[in-house]
Amino acid sequence: MSSVSAPRPSGLGRILDMVPFSFWMAILFFALFAMTVERFATTGNLFNIARIAAILGIVTCGQAIVLVLGGIEFSFASSVALSSVISVVLMPHIGVVPAFLAGMGTCLAIGLINATLIARFELPAFLVTLGTLMAGHGLAQVIAGGLPLDAPASEAFTWPARGEIAGVPVPIVAALLAVGTLHVLLAHSLIGRYWYMTGGNIEAARTSGIKVRTVLFWGYVAAAGFCAAAAVILTSRVASGHPELWPTLSFETIAACAIGGIPLAGGQGRTAQVVCGVLIIAMMQNAECLSKAMGARGTSPWLVAQAGKHGRTSGSRGSRIP
Amino acid sequence: MSDQVCARPGLPVLEASGIAKAYGATRALEEASLRILPSRVHALLGENGAGKSTLVKVLVGATTADSGSLKLDGEPVVFASVRDAFAAGIIPIYQNLSLFPHLSVRENLSAFALGSSRSLSARTALVAPEQARQWLDQVRLAVDLSAPVSSLTLGERQLLEIARGVGQRCRVLVLDEPTASLTPAETERLFGVIRHLCANGSAIVFISHKLDEVEALADDITILRDGRTVLDAGRVSSLSRQEIVRGMIGSDVERVVMDLDEPREIAVRVRGLSLEPASQVVDLDIKAGEILGFAGLVGSGALELAAAVAGARHVASGTVAVGAQIAPAGDRARALEAGIGYVPSDRVQEGLFPFLSATENVSASILGRFSTYGLVKRQKEERLVRPWLSRLKLNPFRPEKPANEFSGGNQQKLILCRGLSIDPLKLLVILEPTRGVDIGAREMIHRAIVEAAHDGVAVVLASTDLDEVLSLSHRIYSVRQGKLGPAVERGTGRDVLMGHLTGRSSP
Repeated sequence: MSSVSAPRPSGLGRILDMVPFSFWMAILFFALFAMTVERFATTGNLFNIARIAAILGIVTCGQAIVLVLGGIEFSFASSVALSSVISVVLMPHIGVVPAFLAGMGTCLAIGLINATLIARFELPAFLVTLGTLMAGHGLAQVIAGGLPLDAPASEAFTWPARGEIAGVPVPIVAALLAVGTLHVLLAHSLIGRYWYMTGGNIEAARTSGIKVRTVLFWGYVAAAGFCAAAAVILTSRVASGHPELWPTLSFETIAACAIGGIPLAGGQGRTAQVVCGVLIIAMMQNAECLSKAMGARGTSPWLVAQAGKHGRTSGSRGSRIP
Repeated sequence: MSDQVCARPGLPVLEASGIAKAYGATRALEEASLRILPSRVHALLGENGAGKSTLVKVLVGATTADSGSLKLDGEPVVFASVRDAFAAGIIPIYQNLSLFPHLSVRENLSAFALGSSRSLSARTALVAPEQARQWLDQVRLAVDLSAPVSSLTLGERQLLEIARGVGQRCRVLVLDEPTASLTPAETERLFGVIRHLCANGSAIVFISHKLDEVEALADDITILRDGRTVLDAGRVSSLSRQEIVRGMIGSDVERVVMDLDEPREIAVRVRGLSLEPASQVVDLDIKAGEILGFAGLVGSGALELAAAVAGARHVASGTVAVGAQIAPAGDRARALEAGIGYVPSDRVQEGLFPFLSATENVSASILGRFSTYGLVKRQKEERLVRPWLSRLKLNPFRPEKPANEFSGGNQQKLILCRGLSIDPLKLLVILEPTRGVDIGAREMIHRAIVEAAHDGVAVVLASTDLDEVLSLSHRIYSVRQGKLGPAVERGTGRDVLMGHLTGRSSP
C-alpha cells in the first residue's frame, strides 16, 4: 500500500513503483530455467506451469488476506483434502455439481470454524489453523478409510480442471478471476482497508472505532472462499478423493507470499506480490520435476501430475500435459 | 569513575561538524554541528522534524552521515555501527527502553557482556554482584539484583538503563526525552543522577521539549532548525527563554492566553461510568463548546477515565449519551457512531497505522463517508482529508507517504486530524494532546482544540501537563488515585489544583 492518492510526476516512474521486487526475480528465474532445463520454455510446458500456478495462486490469494490481517493459515491443505474426499464420496449419490458444492461448503465450514475461534475467542491463528489442519486430515482419513477414492469419470467432473472457456483452460480463467477479486478487495474495498488497518495495528484499529472482530472474521471466511474454489479444480484434476491430496499446500502458499515480498508481520501486501511469488514457486517446482526426467515417485497424485503424467486414478482420459 | 579518561577542559569529547543526511528525497540534516564538552549537560533542542533524532543516530553510530565529520577527543572517528560508538563510550538511552522485561536486573546489567561472550554458560558472563551493585549505586538505584525488570517502575527502569551505560565506561550519555513518562518525583531523581554523573566527568546530551527542564539542568544548548545548527553550544545562563524559542521556531511566539467561547447547551451526558466493579461511579454533563479538563499526575487515572468516556477502554458499567444516541461505555465503535472522536495518549502504539499513507491514517474513522457499495472512493477520500492536513501543517506535505516515514510530531498531527475530521463531531476526547510535541506544534494543536470547541464540539481534555489543562479548560476535574475530585472553574490557580492532585490542601 505505498501507493494511492497523489499524482506522481512521471507515468513510467509510477508504474515502476508498483512493480514489486519479486517481479524481477520471477523474470530472472524464468531466464535461468529456460537456459538450463530441457523443455522448460516450450508452449506446452508453459501451460503446465500456468496450471500449477493457477491452483496454488487461487489458494495463495486467501493466504495473502490472512497475512495482511497479521495472521497465518495452515488449514488449507486439510481443507482441500477433506473437500475432495467429501465431493467424491457424495458424487454417486447426489450428482457432480451438488457434490462440488458440498466440497466448497466443507472448505467454508473449516474457514468458519477458524474465523470464529480467532475472531470471537481471540485465539492465536497459529494454533487454531494448525488444529484444523490436523483435524481436517484426520477426518478425511476416516471418511476415505485411509485410501484414495476413485472418482467416477464424467464430462462435468473433469470440466473444472480440463475444460476450456473461449480456448483458455478453466483453472487459468479461475485464477485470473481470483487475482482480480483479490485486487479489488485489497486495493479498492472497504473491508480490504479494514484488513490493512487491523493487521497493521490492531489497537489503533480499535481506537479508530473499527469492529475488529467482524473484520477478522470476514477475512478468514474470505480466505476459505478462495480455498473452496481451488479445492474443486484440484479434485477434478486428480480425479480422486485423496486424504493426503496436497499436504504441503498451506506452506507453499505461505512461501509464495513470502517470496513475493509480503511480510508475515501483517498490515502489508499487494496482489502483484502474490502473483509473482506464485509464479516463482510454480516455475521452481516445474523445473525440478522436469529435471527429474519424469522419475517422480511421489505418493501424492499432485506430484505425479506435476511431473507430466496423469494421476494413476484418472483412467483412460488423455491429457494435454506433455 | 576512577578509570575515566579526563579530557582537558575546553576540548570537546565529541564533536560533529557539517553533518548532512538524506533519507531518499527527504533531507533530514543539511549542515548540523554539535560540540559536546566533558562534565557538562548539553541540551539538544529543535522542533519535531528539525533533525534531532537523526543527529543523535549519527552520534551513536545507528546511521552514517552522507557527509561531515565526527571527532572523538579531537581525533577523527567513523562509527560503522552502534557497537563502535559503544566501545568509544557513547551510550544512547532511548525513549522506548531497551531492557529485557522478563530478565533480572543483574542479567540486564550484563547484557553487553553476554552479547560478546564466547562462553557457552550464561552464568560465567554475568557481571559480578558487587560490580552490579556499584553500578546501581552510581545512579542511586536500590533494587534487588534478582528482581525481574518488569517489577520496576518506569523511572527505575530508566535509571537501570543508565546504570548499564555507566558500566560501559560511558563518556557521553545521550538521553532522548527521558522525562516524557516520568512523575515529577522520578524526574527530580533522574536529574540528581545526571548531575552526579556529570560531576564525575561524563558528558550528557539531553533532548527535551520541556524548556523548564532544559533551563534547570543544562549548561550548554545547541538548537537545530530544518536540519541546520542555528545555535552552536550557547551557554544556557546567557540565553533568555525568548531567544531559545526564537532559535527553535525562527520567529517569536507570544504566549497566547486562549480565548474561550461561552459553552452552550448540555450535549453529552455520562451516566454511571465506573472503571472497575467496585470503583467510584462518575456522572458528567458536558456542554457543547465546553472544554472539560481532567488533570492528573502520571498514574492518577485521569487518562483512563477520559479513555472510558470515548469507549476506548473496558469498563464495568456506564453509558454515554450524545443527544438522542446512547452508547454503552467501553464500546468504541458505538461511541464513534454517536460522534465521539478519540485521540489516544500513546499515539504510535494505539493510533498509528505505520504502513498506511498519511491520508489513510486520517480517514480511518470516516471511511463510510467516501465509500459506496463497499468500495472506497480514493479521490473523495483525499478531498475530505486534505484540508485537515493543511490546517495542521503536515510537514513535509506528502499525504500519500506511509505514516512511518513522518517524524513523531507529524504522526501525532495525523491522529489528531483523524479525531477532528469525524462529522458530525459531537465530543472529542483527547489525551495528552502535546506529549513529546515541540512549541510550534503545541500552539497549533491547542488552537485546533479551541477551534473545535468554538464550532460547538464538546471536548474532554485529559493531561498530566497542568499548565495545558489550566490554559485550555472551562472546567477542570482533578483526578487522583482513579477518583474524580471536585471541579474547579477556569482561572483557578496552579497551586490550588496541584493541592487537589497531590492530596495536600493548599494554604
